[in-house]
Amino acid sequence: MTGRGFIVAALALFTAALAPAQKARWTIGMSQCNLGEPWRVQMNADIRKAAEKHPEITVVYKDAQNDNLRQVAHLEEFVRAGVNLILISPKEAAPLTRPVADAYDRGIPVIVLDRKILGDRYTCFIGADNRKIGRAAGRWIAHFLGGKGNVVELKGLMTSIPGQDRNSGFREGIRGSQVQVAFEADMKWLEPNARKEMESALARLPKIDLVYGHNDPAAHGAYLAAKAAGRAGEMAFVGIDGLPQEGQMYVRQGILSACFEYPTGGGEAIETALAILGGKPVPREITLPSRVYTKENIDRGGEWLPE
Amino acid sequence: MNIARRLFRSPFSRACLSLLLVFALGLVFNADGAFYSWGTHRDMLRQVSVIGILACGMTVVIVSGGIDLSVGSVLGLCAVLFSLLTIRAGWHPAAAAGATLAGGLACGAVSGYLTGRFRIQPFLSTLAMMVFARGIAKWISGGQKISTALQTPDGSYTYVQVPPVFDLLSARIAGGHIAVVTLILAASLVCCGILLSRTRPGRHLYALGGNEEAARYAGIPVLRTTVLAYALSGVLCGVAGICQAAQELQGDPEAGSTYELSAIAMVVIGGTSLRGGEGSVRLTALGILIIGYLEKILSINAVGEETRLMLTGAIIVAAVLLQKKR
Repeated sequence: MTGRGFIVAALALFTAALAPAQKARWTIGMSQCNLGEPWRVQMNADIRKAAEKHPEITVVYKDAQNDNLRQVAHLEEFVRAGVNLILISPKEAAPLTRPVADAYDRGIPVIVLDRKILGDRYTCFIGADNRKIGRAAGRWIAHFLGGKGNVVELKGLMTSIPGQDRNSGFREGIRGSQVQVAFEADMKWLEPNARKEMESALARLPKIDLVYGHNDPAAHGAYLAAKAAGRAGEMAFVGIDGLPQEGQMYVRQGILSACFEYPTGGGEAIETALAILGGKPVPREITLPSRVYTKENIDRGGEWLPE
Repeated sequence: MNIARRLFRSPFSRACLSLLLVFALGLVFNADGAFYSWGTHRDMLRQVSVIGILACGMTVVIVSGGIDLSVGSVLGLCAVLFSLLTIRAGWHPAAAAGATLAGGLACGAVSGYLTGRFRIQPFLSTLAMMVFARGIAKWISGGQKISTALQTPDGSYTYVQVPPVFDLLSARIAGGHIAVVTLILAASLVCCGILLSRTRPGRHLYALGGNEEAARYAGIPVLRTTVLAYALSGVLCGVAGICQAAQELQGDPEAGSTYELSAIAMVVIGGTSLRGGEGSVRLTALGILIIGYLEKILSINAVGEETRLMLTGAIIVAAVLLQKKR
């Protein structure tokens, strides 16, 4: 009985999970590289909110669980299912370039979000300018520290282009000042990793003036590590992303001295998708503007970064 | 009723039945006909190939009465090694492959030696190797993924050419219908199958798994047989690691994490008992297909991760219960 009962239960769960969805005029396939980062959960939520206003489109969401090969499988499945348009936020540039190009060459428009791929075989890229944000962060930090100090840099996945850009932009921003990057590590966008790396930094460096995290979870993880070591008061924390329930909240709580907005582009993705499906031309690259939030300006809604 | 009972008796027919059940689920939940397209099945075979190669080695180890938890980490290590040798050091692909397979073999042989010579439980010796191999992978890669992106002094990145062997391994032949990695999986299945069913070392493996003390008294070279099993698993981890690197176009020191669980699931669902001494590669082949199809059906139906995890857990228990001897 138990054996058969289990099989029936599994089948029931299976049936419940795979109930077919409503059919709409246009089907858009959305492949998200992972839903472990809060920023990506927000991106999917923004896409969902924008798509709800348009009943003629259905969005199918797939989660690659941070696996490149799974994401390649998503692209193959979307092509085979004959979707009208693909949205993809790729994990890494090199492994996903050819599969995206394949789908694009078969006539399916592809909008690449947030992380760029190599080459130009895609319809449109929507993202903020990570290099500009990194540069603005570098200049802000150099100004904040009065031109010199020890900085710990907690980097995002360095095989992803945003990680590379936020790093190189930051280095450009601090050039000419005497701000030193005393410790840097790749925390791959994840808070638990950032916390571990920060603990190493705290063990190695007697004096840290500021922690620059490539995203807010990193800066927060560093803050927790510093607090546990009793050294949170000696340093400032700066992050990027600026989600209202995360980065902006940390600024209000005084955990982050500054936080640079990195818009998810979810709404813009749906608007652009509708334009493409309606046959209108779209620009190859849509750069989203960004803001900086500090304790002084957060109630005004932050301050837009100059172009 | 008698026929049905006979149908359920052999593990092979039970596994076939499970596969048919999964296939039927695919026909029902076909995601607007996606399951009916030959391309979906072709893609499934390609996607399941790397872990399937691990499952071949795992079968040999489990038949010998052991378990190998290090397959995922050794895959990662070999992926990094292969990428370093071909992309960074510019070695000839055959030499790089040889060195990588030797590395995998060495890891497996160490696990086997610890298990056989020092009588450390396989769970513990391969757990240690799992952690150690991951460490070596991160050490030789400097914690970075070994990809075609090279950092230049000013901080930006340039991209070098992908080595042709990577393209070769991730290609499809026969008019785009069969992936090279699937052929490699088939070859691994055949080799392990021949080893287990038609050679003397194969018979020794079964004897060892059935009853180690009896095997020892029967004069079977226990240490040599143990090392053989784990070394073979290590070599297959090397093969899988090379395929993984080729498909991802990079050597990722984190590659393969949790793959060991999928490989064990494939072997167990196929019908090979974890106790050892019984089972075969044929059963694992069915297990590979069952797991492959299950994942594919969930993926084409865009099932979220939460549901996927719960379902996989329930299905593993269901499949094992289905195969219990009455």
